[in-house]
Amino acid sequence: MTTQIASQSRGRPSGAGDAPTSTGSRATRVLGILTIVAIATLALFGLVLSPADANQGDAVRILYVHVPSATFAYVGCFLTTLGSALYLWKRSQWWELVAYASAEIAALFTAVTLATGMLWGRPTWGVYWVWDARLTSTAMLLLLLLGYLAVRRLPAEPSVRSKRAAIIGLLLVPNVVIVRQSVQWWRTLHQKPTLFANGLDSHIEGLMLFALFVGFVAIGLLFTWLLVHRFRLAWLEEQLDEQGLDLAIAERRAEAAAEVAADTGVVAP
Amino acid sequence: MHDALLVAGKDLRLELRSRVALNQVVPFALLVLVLFAFALDPDRGLLEKATPGLYWVAVLFSGLLALQRSFAVEAADGNRDMLRLSGLDPAGIYLGKVLAVSVQLLTLEVLLLVGVAVLYTTHLGGWPLLVATVLVATAGIAAAGTLYGVVAAGLRVRETLLPLLLLPVLAPVLIGSTRAFEAALGGTPSEGWPWVGLMGVFAVLYVVAGVLGFGPLLEEA
Amino acid sequence: MSGTWPYVIAAWLVVLGAFLAYAVITVVRGRSLSRQVPPERRRWS
Repeated sequence: MTTQIASQSRGRPSGAGDAPTSTGSRATRVLGILTIVAIATLALFGLVLSPADANQGDAVRILYVHVPSATFAYVGCFLTTLGSALYLWKRSQWWELVAYASAEIAALFTAVTLATGMLWGRPTWGVYWVWDARLTSTAMLLLLLLGYLAVRRLPAEPSVRSKRAAIIGLLLVPNVVIVRQSVQWWRTLHQKPTLFANGLDSHIEGLMLFALFVGFVAIGLLFTWLLVHRFRLAWLEEQLDEQGLDLAIAERRAEAAAEVAADTGVVAP
Repeated sequence: MHDALLVAGKDLRLELRSRVALNQVVPFALLVLVLFAFALDPDRGLLEKATPGLYWVAVLFSGLLALQRSFAVEAADGNRDMLRLSGLDPAGIYLGKVLAVSVQLLTLEVLLLVGVAVLYTTHLGGWPLLVATVLVATAGIAAAGTLYGVVAAGLRVRETLLPLLLLPVLAPVLIGSTRAFEAALGGTPSEGWPWVGLMGVFAVLYVVAGVLGFGPLLEEA
Repeated sequence: MSGTWPYVIAAWLVVLGAFLAYAVITVVRGRSLSRQVPPERRRWS
C-alpha cells in the first residue's frame, strides 16, 4: 500500500529531463520517501512494539493516527483562514491557492478523524457515536469546510469566485472557535466531563508516547506532501482557466476582426 | 447610518406591498409547528417539553426562507448594480439589510411564540430572559444570514448553497437560544444569561465582519 | 481484549486507504493537467 505512493510521487522519468509532466519535483520525491518511511515506522511502533493500554486495551492504537489527523485538520483550517486573509489583504493569488488546497486536505483529515474516532468509540464506549463535545464540534468543522469547498468550486469568474471563497475562508476559524465553545458549554453543562478525560491522558508513557510522537511526524509529513501536490494541482487548474479565457477572448477578437473586415469590404466599393 | 435606514425602509416597504413574507413565510412557519405535532405524539407532553428546540428550529427554517427572499429581491433586474452605483455606503447597505431582516424575523418570532403557546400549551414565563434571547438571537441570525446571503446571492445554486453555508454557522445560535429558552421556561433564568452573552458575541462578530466585508463583496461581478 | 483488534485494523485501513486514494487522485490529475500547461508556467521542477 505504501510503496504505491512512492512510485506515484517519484514521477515518470522523463527522457528529455526538462520540466516534469507531473506535480512532483525532487523535493516532493524526497518528502514522499520520508513520509513512507515515517508511516512504516508508525505502523511498527503503533501496531506492534507499543503495549496495549491498561484501560482501553488495543483500541489505543487507533489514537496514534486519530490524534495527529485531528491536529493537522486544525492546522489546515488555520492555513485556510490565513491564506484567505492574506488574499483579501494583499491580493495574493498564491495564498488563495494555499487556502483552497489546505481546505480540501483539512476536509479529508477531518473525515478521517471522524471515521477513526467512531471506530475507537465502538469498542471503548460501546457505540459509534456519542454527543461528545469533541465529536460534535469535529462534525460541525467538516460541514463548515464542505461549505467553503462548495463555494470555492462553483464555476465562476476566477476573481469573483476567489473573493467569495476568501470571505467564507476568513470566517472559518472564528466559526470553528465559536462553534466549539458553544458545543463545549452545551455538553458540559449537562453531563460530567467527557469520556476522553480518563481515556488518553491517564496512562500515556514510554513507548506509547513515542508512538504518538511518530504519528505526529508521519501525519505531518503526509500533510505537507499532500499540500504541496494539491497546491500545484490548484495552480495548474488556475492556469488552464486563464488559458481557456485567453483562448476565448482571442477567438472573439478574431471573429470581430473578420466581421469588421467583411463590413468594410461591403462598404468600400 | 442614514443609508442603513434608507435601505431598511426600502426593503420593508417592498415587503409591505408584496406581502410575500406575510402570505407565505408565516403560514410555512405555522405549518412546521403542526408538522412537529404530527411527528411527535401530542398526548405524551413531548411537544411542551421540546418547545424551545422545536420553536427555534421552526424559526431557523422559516427565517432561511425570509433571507432568501431578501436577496431574491436584489438579484432581480440587476438591482445589485443599482445599489452599488447608488453611492450608498456598503456598510450602510449591509446594516440596512440586517435591520430589515431582523424586523421580519422578529414579527415571525412573535407569531411563532403565540403559536407554541396555543398549539403546544406551553406556559410562557421568565419574560426578561425570553425577550433578551429573542433579540440577540435575531441579531445573530440576521447578521450572519445577510453576510452569507450576499455570498450566495446571484448564484444559480443559491437556494441549496445558503442552507449549507449558514446552518452550521448558526449552530451556536440554535444551541444558545434553545438553552436560554429552556432556562426561562424552566424557571432558572440564571442558567440562560451566559448563553445570551455568547449569542451577543456572535452577533457583534458578524456585524463587524459584515460591515468590513460587504464592500468587497458588492464590488464584484 | 482481542475483540478490539478488528476495529484497530479497520481504522488503520480507513486512514491509509483514504490518504492513498486522495494522493493517487491528486497525482494522476496533476499529470494530466501538467501536459496541458506549458512548462514555463510550471515553476517547480
